[in-house]
Amino acid sequence: MLELILFYTFGAIAVISGILVITRHNVVHSAAFLGATLFAVAGIFLTLHAEFVAGVQVIVYVGGILVLFVFVIMLIAVERSVHERQYNKQWTIALITSAILIVEIAYGLYRGRDSLVLPAVVPPAAAAAGGNSEQVGTALYTSYLLPFEIASILLLVAIVGAVVLSKKRTPAEE
Amino acid sequence: MNLATINIAAILPTLVLSVVGIVVMVAEPFVGEQKKSNLGWLAFAGTLAAMLSLVPMANNRGQWYSNLWIVDDYDVFLDFIFLLIAAITILTSMDFLRREELNHPEFYSLLLFATAGMLMMAASNELVMVFLGLEILSIATYVMAGFRRADLKSNESALKYFLLGSFSSAFFLYGIALIFGATGSTNLLAIADALRSSKIQISLVSLSAALILIALCFKVAVAPFHVWTPDVYEGAPTPVTGFMSVGPKAAGFAVLFRVFLTAFPSIEDRWGSAIWMVAALTMILGNVIAVVQPNIKRMLAYSSIAHAGYVAVAFAATSDRGVSAALFYLLAYSLMNLGAFAMVTIISRKEDKLVNVTDYAGLGSKRPGLAAVLSLFMLSLAGVPGTAGFAGKFFIFRAALESRLVWLAIIGVVTTVISFYYYLSVIVQMYMREPHDEFSDVRLCGSLKFALVISAAGTLYLGLLPTRVLDWTTTAALR
Amino acid sequence: MFSRPKHMEFVGSNILTIVTFTPAAGALLILFYNRAHARSIRTFALIITLLAFVFSLYLVARFDSSNPDFQFGVRVPWMPSLGIDYSMGVDGISLFLILLTTLLTPLAILASSSINDRLREYFIFMLLLESGMIGVFASLDFFLFYVFWEVMLIPMYFLIGVWGGERRIYAAMKFVLYTMIGSVLMLVAIIALYFIHGNATGTFTFSYPQIQSALASGRLVLSPAIELWLFVAFFLAFAIKVPLFPFHTWLPDAHVEAPTAGSVLLAGVLLKMGTYGLVRFSLPLFPHISHLFAPLISMLAVVGIIYGALVAMVQPDMKKLVAYSSVSHLGFIVLGIFSFTIQGLEGAIYQMLNHGISTGALFLLVGVIYDRRHTRLIEEFGGLANRMPVYATFFLIVTLSSIGLPGLNGFVGEFLVLLGTFGVNHIRAAVAALGVILSAVYMLWMYQRVMWGRVENDRNASLADLAGRERAMLVPILIMIFWMGMYSSYFLRPMDASVMKLLNQTQAGRVEYARDLNTFLSAQRRARSASPIGRSLKTRSASPIGRSLKTRSASPIGRSLKSGCAGSQQAGGADEVVRSALHVFAELTTPALQPFLRLRPIGLALRPAVAPPLLCEEGNVLASK
Repeated sequence: MLELILFYTFGAIAVISGILVITRHNVVHSAAFLGATLFAVAGIFLTLHAEFVAGVQVIVYVGGILVLFVFVIMLIAVERSVHERQYNKQWTIALITSAILIVEIAYGLYRGRDSLVLPAVVPPAAAAAGGNSEQVGTALYTSYLLPFEIASILLLVAIVGAVVLSKKRTPAEE
Repeated sequence: MNLATINIAAILPTLVLSVVGIVVMVAEPFVGEQKKSNLGWLAFAGTLAAMLSLVPMANNRGQWYSNLWIVDDYDVFLDFIFLLIAAITILTSMDFLRREELNHPEFYSLLLFATAGMLMMAASNELVMVFLGLEILSIATYVMAGFRRADLKSNESALKYFLLGSFSSAFFLYGIALIFGATGSTNLLAIADALRSSKIQISLVSLSAALILIALCFKVAVAPFHVWTPDVYEGAPTPVTGFMSVGPKAAGFAVLFRVFLTAFPSIEDRWGSAIWMVAALTMILGNVIAVVQPNIKRMLAYSSIAHAGYVAVAFAATSDRGVSAALFYLLAYSLMNLGAFAMVTIISRKEDKLVNVTDYAGLGSKRPGLAAVLSLFMLSLAGVPGTAGFAGKFFIFRAALESRLVWLAIIGVVTTVISFYYYLSVIVQMYMREPHDEFSDVRLCGSLKFALVISAAGTLYLGLLPTRVLDWTTTAALR
Repeated sequence: MFSRPKHMEFVGSNILTIVTFTPAAGALLILFYNRAHARSIRTFALIITLLAFVFSLYLVARFDSSNPDFQFGVRVPWMPSLGIDYSMGVDGISLFLILLTTLLTPLAILASSSINDRLREYFIFMLLLESGMIGVFASLDFFLFYVFWEVMLIPMYFLIGVWGGERRIYAAMKFVLYTMIGSVLMLVAIIALYFIHGNATGTFTFSYPQIQSALASGRLVLSPAIELWLFVAFFLAFAIKVPLFPFHTWLPDAHVEAPTAGSVLLAGVLLKMGTYGLVRFSLPLFPHISHLFAPLISMLAVVGIIYGALVAMVQPDMKKLVAYSSVSHLGFIVLGIFSFTIQGLEGAIYQMLNHGISTGALFLLVGVIYDRRHTRLIEEFGGLANRMPVYATFFLIVTLSSIGLPGLNGFVGEFLVLLGTFGVNHIRAAVAALGVILSAVYMLWMYQRVMWGRVENDRNASLADLAGRERAMLVPILIMIFWMGMYSSYFLRPMDASVMKLLNQTQAGRVEYARDLNTFLSAQRRARSASPIGRSLKTRSASPIGRSLKTRSASPIGRSLKSGCAGSQQAGGADEVVRSALHVFAELTTPALQPFLRLRPIGLALRPAVAPPLLCEEGNVLASK
């Protein structure tokens, strides 16, 4: 029961602050609400006893990405962006379509709720072996070795792409 | 604790591409400004090496790496298509990058990584793996689309592709999450087993299948998920447009076939009619809108939508013959479309000048050779007998009729007639209008010539003697 | 059978390949010519086409007139896994059409002297066109046939679009798109036929003789609905090509805008491909539906005859006049084909050759005058006979041949067609004969305005008469006009065996259709539940209409129908056809028409004589035979 209350609380926080991230005019506020969303998601992981993932969520997303966001926001002119008009003229259509999508997904989930049986929350063996960080590690280096390595290529591509797009322009390009 | 068996041969082509991609980047600082195109040749050699390494890979059939990675004829054939696409794209872009003064060898690295991503998609037996491949391909393509950084259209292209692509990735992920929730696995064979054996709520599976379908339909640009295509294709550098119009499309279809025919055959009655409608709508919209496009890149963008519709017809047939026809068509389409884009690259000038259909006026009298080759590609895209396009369409309609999709076949052939109009209008410009340009500054360097020869020869070969390749695709389809 | 020397055997079995691909090989060689050597390119193209003509003479020389089957056959697997062969052969129907092609192409090349722009490409396209046209007539494989049928469009498209007149691009595009829309549906029908045949017999093949013999021998039986669909798809392709009356609008544009040589080949050969297709494919493959639709198609043909003639009469442009006269003449050919008589069919085939020769000649003659004056308007001319007597003589002979003067070639064909039609339907024959009179009116009227009187236009005062080259291209045609007019049996005899065979197959199919109607009714119920036409039909059988249809055939009315028909042989024949017609329509028509169709059989059961007049006559003729 407590878990359920915690789940819905964290879920509500995540959704509401997620909406606020994209509706606030002030980017600093958006960043703050993003932090709230990320923390709430970490909380949901905790309720599922996925301590390792929860920790990673906080360290990587809040500690890394969010801080980076804030730095960037500090470097650009925030005042100007506050007064800029947001481009969201088609929000009525977007609202209707996303409402339909939500209804569809909710209906599908409702109809299929019986088969959504998640495995037991904490396998006793894993708990005895010292928590799920070891489990995650084992999975990554044995059965999911290939995707783990491929993810490194993905990161490399992302880095290369970022560098290509942002490096100083040559005189010819100006 | 048991480590997964490491089988290098099974992933050799992917490995070769990734390593060559890194080598190209590492070598860049040590190469002088003038010799940077040599890195293009290095990348080209990389694709050739990867093509060679298909042989050891083909000898290692089966499932590897905890059943995440599958090597079969289907995979080998698609890998061949992908590597061919990469090779021709590299050949096309070498001169282009020099001309546009964009000669950053990272371009080749990104292209090789994107190709590696496509190979992963085709070989994945697992939805998470598919997603990784898809993301590698997508991110590399986003960057390549925005490679002309100083150009607003190129930026628009990259941003649009990025935003909508991320959106579709989200759909894909949500689909994976739901199917994992429903069946407890993301492995395609395990999903199929679970669907066959237990009493799983079909609505949940349909929902996740629908989400995956939407995401992949976005990648292959079929209606009604095609709206991004023209803007993105128009803004991207021309060789990249050529790549985008065939590569991600072929990879997307590879995944579509693999996922839906391996994992979801038991609920075919649910998605079969959706594919039917997608195919019909795509053929009609793509061909009809292409008629009014003045810009040849936009015209080819809509034509690529239409061609995706023909492949979707083969998909709707949901038979081995359909898969075989689709594989053949993907190869034929890749060759002729890359050839057409190579020609657009040749004719266009710096910063996307001369990309209107009317700019081709009189090419037939000024540069008869080029005009003849472009005519070949246009006729093949339209589907004139004797060319690859006709053979491909013939096989697709044959598969459709075998699966009794008579109306789909009729819509297909009638829209083909519509497509004749816009393909022939390029020929009209080249041969039947007076030239207002001398085309004297059109340079035809070795690499481009090579690209044209490969695609033209392939187009004719597949058109006249399709038997051998068709037999190959037939075995590739019998998974 | 007698033995031949080895080398003769090689030629004998490959002669069709040689004839077909000689021009294509020539086109390939022209690629290597320097574009500056205009004269030698012209000569070379002419030599190549003459060579093809000589080779095709071999066909005539070695043709066995008593053999109704395909001769000079060649069959090499092309795509074996698909059942596609490179297979060719000639019978009495296609023999002279090939000869017509190889005869007209050199003449068309002679007529190309005014072409100076991009000469090399021009002759390449001409030669490719010839290969394509011969291929269409020679192929015995549906796939191969379709390939030639489509490929041939491309050179013609270029010929019209690059070397044509003012509105050439519009005309070229219209030509391609019109022809294409019909032929792609034929492609679907071909593939469907392939599967139907394959599923029924176990051999998946695109071979025409195999599929045709399976149909003729009853190993493959098409359900009426399927036969109708396939017939419509094939017919549309051919009717557009012919062009039959409502599909003819591309023709005047293409003819007028094409260069002279293009018009000659377009009128002389390309249009024949449509009528050839009707004879070769529609009739023997779909005999029942062909019979069923014969009244309608003949009616369209008659309308075409009259309409073409009337429109031709008011044309100010000579070329357009000849173009519309083609619509009229092609109507005769279709009329002859759908008379289902030996005279009608042979007349139709003969008329194909005649039309190729005389209309080709007319376009050549118009081209001659256009080269001199750069106008084709009739009002610009007058009194040309004074200045160009030889030209006027040639023109007169061709004109007379075109309007069917006895003793010249046109007469034989038109007479046979009218004879064949008259036996089937007097009214149709009478109206068609009116077309002959009209053709005399518009042709002679044009001749009078162009040739006779005084030279009033100063620009005509100094026109030169025919030069040697122009005579060279017209003399062979004059020879043919007289030869075919005087000695028609030389051309008709080789056709006899093949036409008889064709006719037997079609007639046999028809009788069987009427007799087996009862089995058809039950066969169709079975067919509907497993209809290969697809999902759309399948779903319909579950609809209330489908059910009501099924119940109808089992209702008392249906039974009374069956018993009523068995009564008299003669009335029964008509009735059967009508009922089968209704049955076919019942399978396909929209729900909106269903009540109407359901009412009709009741009326028929009460009074069998109420059958529509046209169909009734068809039945009478058949029964009286």
